[in-house]
Amino acid sequence: MVTDPAGLVMKLDRRYFLTLVSAAIGSPVLAVGENSSDTTALFLSAASDSDDQHWVIGFELVDGKSAEKFRHLLPARAHHIAVHEALGVFVVIARRPGNYLWVGDLHSGEPLAEITVPVDRHLYGHGVFSEDGRHFYAPENAWQLINGDSGRVVAWQVSRDSQGFSMVRAGDFPSYGTGPHELLLKPDQNTLVVANGGIRTHPERPREKLNIPSMEPSLVYMDAVTGELQEQHMLDAEYHQASIRHIDQNASGQVVIGMQYEGEPFDSAPLLALHEQGKPLQLLWAPEPQQGQMKQYIGSVRYDRSGRFFAASSPRGNMISFWDVATGEMKKSLRSRDGCGLCAIEQGFLFTAGSGRITQYDLVRDEIEALNTGSDGKVFWDNHLSMIAR
Amino acid sequence: MKNLHFCTCLLAALLVPCLAVAQTTENWTQVNLSVTDNHVIPSYISLENAAAGMATAAQSFCRSPDAAGLDVFRNGFHNSMDAWQQIQHIQFGPITYFNWNFRIHYWPDEKGTGARQLDDLIDSMNSDSLATDNFARESVGVQGFPALERLLFDDESLLAFREDNYRCQVAQAIALNISDIASGVSQRWRDEFRTTIENADERGFFESAEDATIDFLKAQIESVRRIQQQKVEEVIGDSAARARIRRAESWRSNRSLRNLRLNVLALENLFSGNEGQAVALGAVLMPEDRTLISEAFLTLKMRLEAAPDSIEEALDADDGYARLQQIAAGLDDLFEAFEAGLKNTDLYLGFNSLDGD
Repeated sequence: MVTDPAGLVMKLDRRYFLTLVSAAIGSPVLAVGENSSDTTALFLSAASDSDDQHWVIGFELVDGKSAEKFRHLLPARAHHIAVHEALGVFVVIARRPGNYLWVGDLHSGEPLAEITVPVDRHLYGHGVFSEDGRHFYAPENAWQLINGDSGRVVAWQVSRDSQGFSMVRAGDFPSYGTGPHELLLKPDQNTLVVANGGIRTHPERPREKLNIPSMEPSLVYMDAVTGELQEQHMLDAEYHQASIRHIDQNASGQVVIGMQYEGEPFDSAPLLALHEQGKPLQLLWAPEPQQGQMKQYIGSVRYDRSGRFFAASSPRGNMISFWDVATGEMKKSLRSRDGCGLCAIEQGFLFTAGSGRITQYDLVRDEIEALNTGSDGKVFWDNHLSMIAR
Repeated sequence: MKNLHFCTCLLAALLVPCLAVAQTTENWTQVNLSVTDNHVIPSYISLENAAAGMATAAQSFCRSPDAAGLDVFRNGFHNSMDAWQQIQHIQFGPITYFNWNFRIHYWPDEKGTGARQLDDLIDSMNSDSLATDNFARESVGVQGFPALERLLFDDESLLAFREDNYRCQVAQAIALNISDIASGVSQRWRDEFRTTIENADERGFFESAEDATIDFLKAQIESVRRIQQQKVEEVIGDSAARARIRRAESWRSNRSLRNLRLNVLALENLFSGNEGQAVALGAVLMPEDRTLISEAFLTLKMRLEAAPDSIEEALDADDGYARLQQIAAGLDDLFEAFEAGLKNTDLYLGFNSLDGD
């Protein structure tokens, strides 16, 4: 027989894990996020409702409840929301193959602008601001290029002043691959890290994957100003169908990668990896049965505030797993029906689910709290959750 | 919150006045345990018993392959497949351990991987690979029903088994493997997963008792769509001339529509329960929706009962293609009835999990 799967919920060396977590969270050296209290944080997510309307929703946490601050109707389904605190704006990025960027005011939630990309392009649902707020970067598909690498990274010049808000296309670079998805700016603000999913799609067949047998995902480091390629990392040939889709980084610039495997459902394939620039990819495996329960699909990855742990959501497997970066080991898994959106908060993570649930997990106390979502009408939270401390 | 109620009457007898009670954790658990005890566990025990019989028949046949023995082996295959088709829709819990779900029935095999791997295995003549523990690590495509069907249901099967004893050992290894998997799943449900279901509200494997109910609902509703698309529409295409029998499940053993008939009966049993069963899965839907769903089941069953076991035979009839289209339409109506019923509840099956981004 193979491994005994009787331990359906990961049995941890709980004391060891909690000691590690307490030490990490208490260490200011490792702090990644803002230190202000989450009671004043604003969380943002795209969501849909049962009438197939699509929204951007901002909410706060108040006394163990989510308190909705605003919601606005969107032209179509969205994916991720990029925020910039100093500018006081958020940008909702259309889900593939959408073409809009919907800009709102962080404080009022009111719309500031709706921008569309050129007709021969579409977005991939992700984008990121530079730290100074002067630039915004988003991957696009130059879908008319049906043979070569159609992935692009577009740099936008951003300004918000007394004249209003503006975003202007300022640079258009190759992503050095196909199907670029999530991207981020390294802490030095000079280098973009791009997850090229490797999957070719076409807006006329919007959800169809056209090149699964030959797909070549990659993790790319490129100059944020010139677009010049710095590094490109591929998976071994046997794992070429593991689409590199979602990434996050900690303060030291280490990148965590979440993948979606397009091969057979029973194949043993990596779904997570860590990477430091200049080094090879470090593939991570959960023990069974958790690896199998991920159903070959990671929907989002986020570091905790210490940067020593990360969470990975598996909405198809209804599971969120928590990992220790130092050892590369999964330390805990939690059931979360259709859970996908992740956000680091004080002491742990907040996660949202397609079921409409919002749940808080305290890493230090190892406690889960399902938040009362009030009576604002049920929504299905989309894949990603963003936060800004106010 | 919509005014959702459970109905604790016997759902199969919809004319019996229903006693409506409030939706509570206890009621979710009641439904889950009733479905587990009356539908899931008995179905897995049936599979376990049938597969054990098939493994015995295989062993007996391979000692001295003859026509009578092959008939018994084939009969064991049919009994086991009958049992599997009545629990195939449960794709959560122990069936997902060790890739058991793929190992017992790797289908559809769109790339023909299983056939190639089976040929490679037979060509290898390596008896070590057939030892129980080793065989469980062989390629998924050679371990289950489709591979065994390929060996058993060929005009030259008996001759091939007589001429190549290793081929018969492979068939025997597959039968034993299916039996081991069936036994493992059945035992895990009885010894472990029933307790997991019973304690679903303690936030262990499940988030809540309702969460467990949703897994049963997914098994119920998503299976309808899956068999409509994979087992019917994929085969009949958009015209009789473009029908592709070899895309059908179990076409070699001439039982594609028998599978479908059993699938639908099992799904109805999950929904409505057995005679005397206090509560079944349909209790989570509103009474008027249950009526519509029961009517859709009835229409579909009538269409399937009029069809032969073999999809090839069905297509050979003058009105065969139209009848298969009606079966597909019946499955579609059933799925739509479930979808409409779900909309009248707060239950929800998936959003991000269906996303793909």
